Amino acid sequence: MSSPALPSNRDENWRYANLRPLAKARPDAISAALPPAGLALPPPLPPPLPGYERWVFIDGQVAPGLSAAAPNPFVSLLDFRDAGRELAQLLDSDLAQAGADFSLARINLQREGKVLHVSVPDGGEARLELNFVATAAASAGTSYPRVQVHAGRGARLRLIERHLSAGATDSAINAAFDLALASDATIDHCRLQNCADGASVFDTLTAHAGERATYRLRTVTLGGLTSRSTLFVKLAGSAARCELVAASIANGIQTHDTFAQIDHAGPGTTTRELFRGIATERGKLAFNGKMIVRETAHDADTDQSLKTLLNGSGAEASARPQLEIYTDKVRAKHGATTGKLDEQMLFYMLSRGIDRPQAQALLQWAFIEDAISHIELAPLRQEIEQLIAAQLNEVSALDGLVARP
Amino acid sequence: MKPLLKIENLSASVGGKKVLNGLSLEVNAGEVHAIMGPNGSGKSTLSYVLAGRPGYQITGGTVSFEGRDLTTLEPEERARAGLFLGFQYPVEIPGVNNVYLLKAAVNARRKALGQPEVDAYEFLQLVRGKMKLMQMDESFLSRGVNEGFSGGEKKRNEILQMLVIEPTLAVLDETDSGLDIDALKVVARGVNTLRSPDRGVLLITHYQRLLDHVVPDQVHVLARGRIARSGDKSLALELEKRGYDWVLEVA
Repeated sequence: MSSPALPSNRDENWRYANLRPLAKARPDAISAALPPAGLALPPPLPPPLPGYERWVFIDGQVAPGLSAAAPNPFVSLLDFRDAGRELAQLLDSDLAQAGADFSLARINLQREGKVLHVSVPDGGEARLELNFVATAAASAGTSYPRVQVHAGRGARLRLIERHLSAGATDSAINAAFDLALASDATIDHCRLQNCADGASVFDTLTAHAGERATYRLRTVTLGGLTSRSTLFVKLAGSAARCELVAASIANGIQTHDTFAQIDHAGPGTTTRELFRGIATERGKLAFNGKMIVRETAHDADTDQSLKTLLNGSGAEASARPQLEIYTDKVRAKHGATTGKLDEQMLFYMLSRGIDRPQAQALLQWAFIEDAISHIELAPLRQEIEQLIAAQLNEVSALDGLVARP
Repeated sequence: MKPLLKIENLSASVGGKKVLNGLSLEVNAGEVHAIMGPNGSGKSTLSYVLAGRPGYQITGGTVSFEGRDLTTLEPEERARAGLFLGFQYPVEIPGVNNVYLLKAAVNARRKALGQPEVDAYEFLQLVRGKMKLMQMDESFLSRGVNEGFSGGEKKRNEILQMLVIEPTLAVLDETDSGLDIDALKVVARGVNTLRSPDRGVLLITHYQRLLDHVVPDQVHVLARGRIARSGDKSLALELEKRGYDWVLEVA
């Protein structure tokens, strides 16, 4: 089977992604000889979150010994082709097309293999914690994590997704997530990408929301040499809602790129989108937030707040709101800024005797906290705050640092 | 008496414009000096030059603080050496906890003095006591630094920081501006609390009314970037009656 071509930077929506590491990775899936010799198991994972069913995947494939012994009946591992058919009935064809148009997803979807299939029945509730650990080098193959989720009418799913590294530091990951929310369903989805600094992490996510359904995605990108998230959300039913909060810190020579398209088709649909990104040293960041409001989506309400902070002469950032509106009855608010550390704030802290590096770290902290504070699950938020503190490198004591409104 | 702060023939410019022009001033330990003067006379510039704000260029003269050349120190080093600036317009820093800033500031000062970090419990007790004095609700502690504070609350927060940090020299830049009479009394009480034989205070103010509550040892009038006249507290009263023009004419 011939692989579809990788996207190119000539494509406007791929202008900022660093595609070279993926092009160099071996495209076939990593073989199932798991775990790789020499890898200490279990890999370094945070303690399980209370009430959450834990799943661990190594190089894209489920690690039974590390995952829930008695899985929830809502969760199953399906052969990919069967799962695809099942979900195709739930997914909107436009959305499926939009996802598949991006060849990265297509590369993923044409592989043989398993998919984690989650189907929460009407009125049901589930909490899942999915941990994807990359251990193999890109020269050994690519990880293809695949997850499909269906939340039935009024169902509620809390989903935590982590991407981490153990072993090789230059893994290639190409993940595909598809979510379908029936009417009145709610999905709270928190994702953390904290892979090794040499990893290439690509993912494509589609979400389809029915009437009054709410999809909340909190996504934090800290790791990877190059990271690209491609998100397609369709608010198909009336009064469906999307809340997307994204945070990203690109240090060194990291490139973090997000393309998020939110398509408002149902009347009275709502989106709240917030991005906070920090680029330091020679880090590069891009967030392209595209809002489509269709003719049918009268009384839609969209709000975008995209802010990036540069700290370093070689750092680059682009925060771009894009609006495509086909109805007059819409409320669309957007703001995008790219700035440096506020000199007045910095001087104020220095004048209190605080070291310059610490003051800078505190200001970066305060900036990113705008996004992190939206993570409602306290242990997960604290875990992420610890990681960010370590990334900012100067905040030695987190105790009492965080100001809560 | 040993001068805490000794400024000699200081000239400074901001954005290429000369604002201070041969200013000399000595503040001894235990003294409170008030600096008054019309708008644009260089009052705020003096405070920023002392604190080391970027963009405030010293073009001549010397400033020594407890015998050390202040001008060679970074802003954070000046603070750790015991200099405190109370801002005319305190800066809002959303996301950084007020109490965290206080603690970091206190520990920075303690470290410079060779003392161990403050004990968390003792620190909270200390801060609570000072907050009571400043009539501030404890909820201010967990809010972002000055975030959403009213003008008066910001000024009280400046004084609270000063009381907790316990600087050797406090430079208060128009801390009284924008305060109603009750808040003014609270701020004055805070400043009076800091007064001690080994500390000094430089009160920069536009109006005489603060000096009813914080009685200065000396009053100076700043005009055209230098001290045009000095005297005791009666000078402030005279200025209140006659305005600044009178001093400017004499100068």
